[in-house]
Amino acid sequence: MNILNEFEYYAPKTKSEALELVKSLGSSAKVLAGGTDLIIMMKEKMIKPEAIIDISNLDELKGIVCKDGQGAEIGACTTIAEIEFSKDLEKKYSALTYAAGELGSNQVRVMATIGGNCCHSSPAAETPTPLSALGAKVVISGLAGERELPMEDFIQGNRKNDLQPGEIVSKFILPEPAKKSACRYGYIGLRNAMEIDAVNMAVNITLEDDGTKIKDVKLVMGSVSPRPLVSELIPGLLKGTELTEELIVKAGEAAQSEAKPITDVRASAEYRRDVVGALARRLVKEAYEAAKEA
Amino acid sequence: MKKQLITLDINDQLYQVAVTPMDILVDVIRKEIGLTGTKKGCGQGDCGACTVLIDGKPQLGCLKLAIACQGKKITTIEGVADPVTGELHPLQKSFLDHGAVQCGFCTPGMILSSKALVDSTPNPSKEEIKRTLAGNTCRCTGYILIFEAIEAYVKARAEGEVK
Ligand SMILES: Cc1cc2nc3c(=O)[nH]c(=O)nc-3n(C[C@H](O)[C@H](O)[C@H](O)COP(=O)(O)OP(=O)(O)OC[C@H]3O[C@@H](n4cnc5c(N)ncnc54)[C@H](O)[C@@H]3O)c2cc1C
Ligand code: FES
Ligand code: FES
Repeated sequence: MNILNEFEYYAPKTKSEALELVKSLGSSAKVLAGGTDLIIMMKEKMIKPEAIIDISNLDELKGIVCKDGQGAEIGACTTIAEIEFSKDLEKKYSALTYAAGELGSNQVRVMATIGGNCCHSSPAAETPTPLSALGAKVVISGLAGERELPMEDFIQGNRKNDLQPGEIVSKFILPEPAKKSACRYGYIGLRNAMEIDAVNMAVNITLEDDGTKIKDVKLVMGSVSPRPLVSELIPGLLKGTELTEELIVKAGEAAQSEAKPITDVRASAEYRRDVVGALARRLVKEAYEAAKEA
Repeated sequence: MKKQLITLDINDQLYQVAVTPMDILVDVIRKEIGLTGTKKGCGQGDCGACTVLIDGKPQLGCLKLAIACQGKKITTIEGVADPVTGELHPLQKSFLDHGAVQCGFCTPGMILSSKALVDSTPNPSKEEIKRTLAGNTCRCTGYILIFEAIEAYVKARAEGEVK
């Protein structure tokens, strides 16, 4: 079982060399970052690439740049552990650094990259949910140039995304958080460590200048749809309001009505729907309270 | 498939080994190089038995291509004791003193994961120790003695009793 199929190994020295290889080797090749998804899929014979293009050593694809008042950029090959421990990111995007710290185990976080987490495009993945809620854009590079997509449009289904032949993800761009805003992430799984989320969710709330009325709200759910699910009902329900217990209950019901959970080894659809309600109520409240303090 | 010669830096020693791109690091370390302290449990990233330090950070040998580890510094359990005298590292001694080793299968991974933590954190809390070891499964000790061994080492180090 643990024997890999035969492949050629390439370790390009620069991003442009990597893009040349990705283009010329085409769909028979796979890009290798941390390998924590790819090597397992190869061991399980779910895929049999003829070539592996190792991009994990490319400095051009690594690193976190937080600019004062101007958001942040995170290279695709930045590891989950680097994100978890980034003090700069934590100040502005604690929902993301918290989610990063909840992915897998310490060893997995040291190896795994944020690019790999998004490109593997598992519905249960940890980081796409907070990235969407924070308004992140995915920067996709090919030999012809770069293009950008909102995180939630990049992932299109279970293990499906918008990457075209010859393209890789090079970085993520996070907008500066709005004044009087806060984003919160939460998940429910079978245990604390080393589990795959049954449901995860992130809620980002911005308040009016008065510091009480909701100006903007984005609620994103993971693991209850083949792709990150951005609630369409929540903004209509909460915008312009001062949050009340009644609205919190309604927000839970709205999220539940939109979720499309399935039953699998980790949880039943019924349980997932309950969890969606509980998480939505908790996170809407937490994000609202935190935005008041912001 | 044709093998190629690569150089791996393990415990500050350079090893030339012939590998194919498919060869997994933990297998090369155990079977080609003969350092059998590193264990292989699940082969799937779940148990942490195969943990080695790569450039000082704990990584899973069962999910790494050996060929991708050229130019990196690898530390296995054989590299933790004093290279000259062979004396065990005080963290290792603390594991022994506290009965934190039973069958020993998880121990190399436990030591390397906790060594990376104590090397980078002067005074890790119990919570940090637990979080760090969440990816190292032990089916014998029940973990408590392992946490105690690490805490005792950290305390002794803070008091200047050991390095
Ligand atoms: C024990 C264990 C526990 C885990 N727990 C969790 C968890 O709790 N939550 C979670 O979300 N995930 C979890 N994972 C899954 C995995 O660790 C993450 O998805 C990780 O972020 C993948 O990143 P990677 O760098 O290892 O990707 P790789 O395995 O290197 O790549 C994954 C896929 O993305 C492609 N790819 C990678 N980078 C790029 C790029 N820049 N451009 C284009 N394509 C690219 C690869 O070709 C491959 O198809 C776990 C894995 C293990 C082994
Ligand atoms: S053998 Fe590598 S994690 Fe289990
Ligand atoms: S001592 Fe036996 S598995 Fe830990």
